[in-house]
Amino acid sequence: MHFEIMDYELPTNFDVVVVGTGIIESIISAAASRIGKTVLHVDSNNFYGGLSSSFNLESFLKLNIEKRKSICMEHSSLNDTETFFPINNSDFTLDEVTHQWNITNKNKNYSDEENSAQEDIIAKEICAKKWLKDDLLKESRKFNIDLTPKVQYARGDFIELLISSNIARYSEYRSITRVLTWFNNTLEVVPCSRSDIFANNKISIIEKRILMKFFTSLDDNEDLIIKDYASKTYKCFLTDKKLSKNLIHYILYAISNSTDSTLCLEGIGNTKKFLKSLGRFGKTPFLYSMFGSGDLPQEFCRLSAVFGSVFALDQPIHGLILEENSFKSILIGKQKIKAKNFVLGLNLTPDFFLNKVKKKFISRGVFITNKSIMDSDNEPLTLLLYPAENDKNPCTVLELPWLSSCCPKDTYLVHISCNQINNPEDDLKHCVKNLFTLNEDFKAFKPLIFYSSYFSIPTNSDENVNLHDFNNLFICPGPDSELDFVTAVSKAKELFLKMYPDDEFLPRAPDPEEIKWDGDEEPSDIAQ
Amino acid sequence: MIMDDYKFLFKVVLVGNAGVGKTCLVRRFTQGLFPPGQGATIGVDFMIKTVDVGSEKVKLQIWDTAGQERFRSITQSYYRSAHALILVYDISCQPTFDCLPDWLREIEEYASSKVLRVLVGNKIDREDREIPTVVGEEFAERHNMYFLETSAKESDNVERLFMQIAEDLMKQARSRDLPRYDSNTTTIDGKTSTISDFSCCSK
Repeated sequence: MHFEIMDYELPTNFDVVVVGTGIIESIISAAASRIGKTVLHVDSNNFYGGLSSSFNLESFLKLNIEKRKSICMEHSSLNDTETFFPINNSDFTLDEVTHQWNITNKNKNYSDEENSAQEDIIAKEICAKKWLKDDLLKESRKFNIDLTPKVQYARGDFIELLISSNIARYSEYRSITRVLTWFNNTLEVVPCSRSDIFANNKISIIEKRILMKFFTSLDDNEDLIIKDYASKTYKCFLTDKKLSKNLIHYILYAISNSTDSTLCLEGIGNTKKFLKSLGRFGKTPFLYSMFGSGDLPQEFCRLSAVFGSVFALDQPIHGLILEENSFKSILIGKQKIKAKNFVLGLNLTPDFFLNKVKKKFISRGVFITNKSIMDSDNEPLTLLLYPAENDKNPCTVLELPWLSSCCPKDTYLVHISCNQINNPEDDLKHCVKNLFTLNEDFKAFKPLIFYSSYFSIPTNSDENVNLHDFNNLFICPGPDSELDFVTAVSKAKELFLKMYPDDEFLPRAPDPEEIKWDGDEEPSDIAQ
Repeated sequence: MIMDDYKFLFKVVLVGNAGVGKTCLVRRFTQGLFPPGQGATIGVDFMIKTVDVGSEKVKLQIWDTAGQERFRSITQSYYRSAHALILVYDISCQPTFDCLPDWLREIEEYASSKVLRVLVGNKIDREDREIPTVVGEEFAERHNMYFLETSAKESDNVERLFMQIAEDLMKQARSRDLPRYDSNTTTIDGKTSTISDFSCCSK
């Protein structure tokens, strides 16, 4: 028997074809494969994750250039009873990625005669390592730059799913070291735990007692809260609780990640979610996956493959073929591949099924800097929840040290995100200005930006999808602006159960020790 | 939870074209079986075997590609945290050897630069050899890799391959020259004991 070297032909009959490797598509792929369905999982990109992917620095810099051309399809292979729906291949719509370097390749010599010897010493102390553009490019593969960074609540639905499905074994996480907020024009540490609250010197002893009491009272009088505050804001509730201004700030903008208009019950829910996740793995409720958020969809793809799915990236995916009243096959290259169900990322959905609505985006900024936004003894992994300001939306700032395996030593990788109003640079500029400096003055207190990038992530939910009566097509929304994957998990589960209502969603995968092997071979066959 | 009786745990991953015998090598080593039963590979993520190196117990966690190599679609995360990497080709099949530079590029991109790399020419039991031993040796030398020819079918050199890896990784571990995967990370296994710092919600 001789094996084929490389299959260029895909198998042509499946239970499910999944197109796109975003988080929701990947979870559904794993879930279907796990219950024994045959799955073909393809992507038109040559990398996993789509808009949830992470890139090394060089690939990230090339993102603009590598836009995929739309593919011509061949009608010749269709017969009379078939209708063709080309899939929307504007797939990777990051068309406005900007890149700015604030460092050059020339070494700016700090021991110039103009500079005094003393200044030279300070320079060495403050900024141990002087980076040049080429130095950073040489370390390119140490970067894992997320398009859509996510943190996970330690007791959130995503982490619970990783544990219950036994997918957690594929990856390692790092606890977020501290949660910060921006208050009175300065950075403040948000007290998370009991010990944090007691150690905090910004709040008085009385406030500490009030805060503790508030936290422990959240479960009480739930009925009363529902009745009295059903249509009122969380801010109103906190104010009525007679909390001081800074306590309200901590709870509203940081702990519950809310805004002034967040409704009371949602705010309470968020607060409880935060508190519930404390103390499980670290000092804050949040975890970040080593090597970036882009590894998360891959974990589900790995499980899917382990249970037999066929994976093929970089595929010329043309479109779906409708016959009578359901989709029968998908055209990939010159192959017509049959399946009972089709799962598609929203960005690949044929235009026919999309209502014309205004597109929504997340404004994103990526920065490589020389130090943390707030000094610390160890190398902190920081989540800053920057409240709304004037006409600006609240921003989520995630600052990663090299320990996260997302950037080289002596640098920090900073992600800033917010719901788009105008354009990324404009939406984030107030936050960037307050946190960083572009001025290579080594005495500066703020971190120096070496490199910055701005882009927009399309974030349309599936509310604008109209599937009419086609019940074997399932559309997965793209990235969302949540901190974590809570919405993605519930969407994946919902779609999976629509497809297979009688099956279990991602039951626990066995550990290697638990697998029962075929009894075909005689024990005597054991070598040596 | 059973306390495992081992001092070191190493992650070993296999790559190479489809059909070169990666799964056979793993199953031969961990279970002494050839050919592996077809059905059972579904759901198998990695295989574990504990070996003795000197007086120490070393646990090898051996990962297979789960078929994702078939269309060149291995997840990057597969390479992460690997201590050793076995690149396999079939000595009776030139194209599997010709693909090695492609595999090396992928390894260099995603695996740790300190990962122990081993080149393996498998299927030496076959009569129709296309790649002379010396060609494999030269390739390995040029790319700073260990080299070994094996037969999973006849069990030639399979034990030696994995034992060599275990010994080398032990040596590296002793001289602290292993790829540094920081031990301070959180592994989520659901068994992690809860530090109860703030038990407000459960009252």
